[in-house]
Amino acid sequence: MDELLQQFLLEGRDLVADAHAALVALGRDARDRPALDRLFRATHTLKGSVALFDMAPAERLLHVAEARLEGARKGDGALDEAMLDLLMQAIDQTDRWIDAMEGAASLDADATGLSDRLIALIAGDGETGEADLPLPVSPPVAADQDWIAALRSRAELAMVDPGRARTAFRYTPDPDCFFRGEDPLSMVENVPQLLGIAILPAGDAWPDLAACEPFRCMAAIEGLSAADEAQVRAAFRLAPDQIAVAPFNPSPAASDSAPYATELAATLRVEAVRLDRLADQSGELAVAIRALQPIAARLRVIDPLLAAELRAAEDEIARVAGRLQRSVAQVRLVSLEPVLRRLPRLAREAAAMVDKAIRFTIEGETAQVDKQLADQLFEPLLHLVRNAVDHGLEPAGQRVASGKPAEGRIGLAVRQDGGHISIVLTDDGRGIDPQAMRAAAVAKGLMSGEAAAALSDAEALHIVFLPGFSTAESATMLSGRGVGMDAVRAAVERLAGTITIQSDVGRGTRITLRLPANAITTPLLVVAAGDRQLGVRLDQIVETARIDASAVQPVGQAHACILRDRTVPVLDLAALLGLEPTSGALARLVVTDAGPCRTALRVAAFGERFDAVVRESTGLLAAMPAVAGTAMMSDGSVLLVLDLPELVA
Amino acid sequence: MSVVVEEDRIILSGAATVEDAEPLLAALLEHPHHRIDIAGLARAHLAVVQLVLAAGRPVIGRPESPFLREIAFASPMRIKV
Repeated sequence: MDELLQQFLLEGRDLVADAHAALVALGRDARDRPALDRLFRATHTLKGSVALFDMAPAERLLHVAEARLEGARKGDGALDEAMLDLLMQAIDQTDRWIDAMEGAASLDADATGLSDRLIALIAGDGETGEADLPLPVSPPVAADQDWIAALRSRAELAMVDPGRARTAFRYTPDPDCFFRGEDPLSMVENVPQLLGIAILPAGDAWPDLAACEPFRCMAAIEGLSAADEAQVRAAFRLAPDQIAVAPFNPSPAASDSAPYATELAATLRVEAVRLDRLADQSGELAVAIRALQPIAARLRVIDPLLAAELRAAEDEIARVAGRLQRSVAQVRLVSLEPVLRRLPRLAREAAAMVDKAIRFTIEGETAQVDKQLADQLFEPLLHLVRNAVDHGLEPAGQRVASGKPAEGRIGLAVRQDGGHISIVLTDDGRGIDPQAMRAAAVAKGLMSGEAAAALSDAEALHIVFLPGFSTAESATMLSGRGVGMDAVRAAVERLAGTITIQSDVGRGTRITLRLPANAITTPLLVVAAGDRQLGVRLDQIVETARIDASAVQPVGQAHACILRDRTVPVLDLAALLGLEPTSGALARLVVTDAGPCRTALRVAAFGERFDAVVRESTGLLAAMPAVAGTAMMSDGSVLLVLDLPELVA
Repeated sequence: MSVVVEEDRIILSGAATVEDAEPLLAALLEHPHHRIDIAGLARAHLAVVQLVLAAGRPVIGRPESPFLREIAFASPMRIKV
């Protein structure tokens, strides 16, 4: 894909997310001035960006939206709820067009019509009013932003207190100005309240001295002043065509005490795959270091002192590797915002398809999680949201009849607690009736009547996660017949998370996802089955136990034992893998809740515990049912990591 | 202004005008490893400053003018010799 387009897709979506955030803030408080400014800037910059592509309908629409916002900024015509809704539609539409540019590299045929319709509504009174609206008077922000962004990261300006700087300028003197007797530096010296300047090569770099012409100006000057824009502009009144001036805001996150340079360090976009590689390699380093341990142990026999030195060095390397791994984990932390910001639009679209109106709120979307998690959360969340729209919320008529607002409420709240995040999706719909769930599960032959009756109400709600289950009486285009709730659970479990449902019949449903915020390395236990070594995720193990083999009793075709007063089925890992069953007087058991009930796996031996980067299986391994992935052992060999939920299912 | 070449440095002093750019460039080309001493510099034209920056050499001395010391040469002066 063309690099410019790629850049646009990234930045365009950032701007859409920015505009959404501002619209949500304005929805809470229509007089939120910073939010209005933020929305204006995002819209303006988006307009500039779409203008670079064949997206004329988007450009016209954003132009009208921008003009409306400019009006609101000047104080004529506040933005009422209806207008905010139209602006939301304009931004949503732009977002869809960005998707279209990614897919088909062009807008749909109906883009012009859509754009005209929204333009008429935003311009008001059914006129197409585009021409009547004043052009925004602000300077071209998009062009400004390039040099301001560069200026923020100038080392030369690193000593300037960002709290004092109010205006930034970039002065590019005419190369021949020295011949006219001008001294650009003395003009800069006259800038009021000058805080600092950077004298830079006007081109990419200073030329070699041998190539320098002493009387040709080859410099550009950037600077910061505590004076306002007009005062700075006045200082350059003799060179208006060579100067760019713009208000300077320290980055919003900047704290007064932090050094300027670090605050202004521009963000860097790095290909995700490179970060993944870095994370993998830092994880492998941690594992590779463990190869020193057995060497140190052998060395102790020959030379205890040298062995101690090696151990000390190993500890030090392990400590540094641990720090490296934590730093990499930090780098991989990304805000959930870009993932979550797309949901309201998709939820509104989903609601429109089934003729429902919704109000969607998001809280805590700036929580930071590992990139892998952010990447893989979107699909399951979208599915849950669509389910809530489709199955959770009642039609408007029914809602009003039961005393609820016609508009269905869906809320998404993200909370970070320590190393975990919880994502709570609530709706105020019809809720889930546990009795109906039990009956449906029995009717579909998913479980026996007794088993269903034995479930508590809370457990009965989780029937929805059984493969192929649905309570909807009719299938819809939107979410099908509940297909996918089992897939949602599988996706969450793949991310080492859990999903739970609570519901109040007639009042709504609450789905909670709890996930680890960092998930690069996974603690593993090595077990033996037959002559093979296999990895089991520690978080899937409830306990390990050693019991007398005679305590494992045959029960019909299967085996079971009593553990902590509970009867637990025992499966032989080697037999499951098609190997010779484990024998011996002692039964070593790995007890897990990963399956439908507590299960013990009999293994031949317990090995070491260690943290490893588990890679999802690819190629041939992906076809093996019981393998979740692979991890590298300290001796460089590859360990197969078992997929316990699948193995014991 | 004057451009004076000493054993290990090029000394700039007084008020540097656009005319001083030419002798400075010649001195810089002739003595590629000399540092630049600006302690006695009172004023400087951009033509001179841009050559000092393009040369990328260590700049030593603290000129009396606050503008030169803290603004124009703030960055090259931080390069330690």
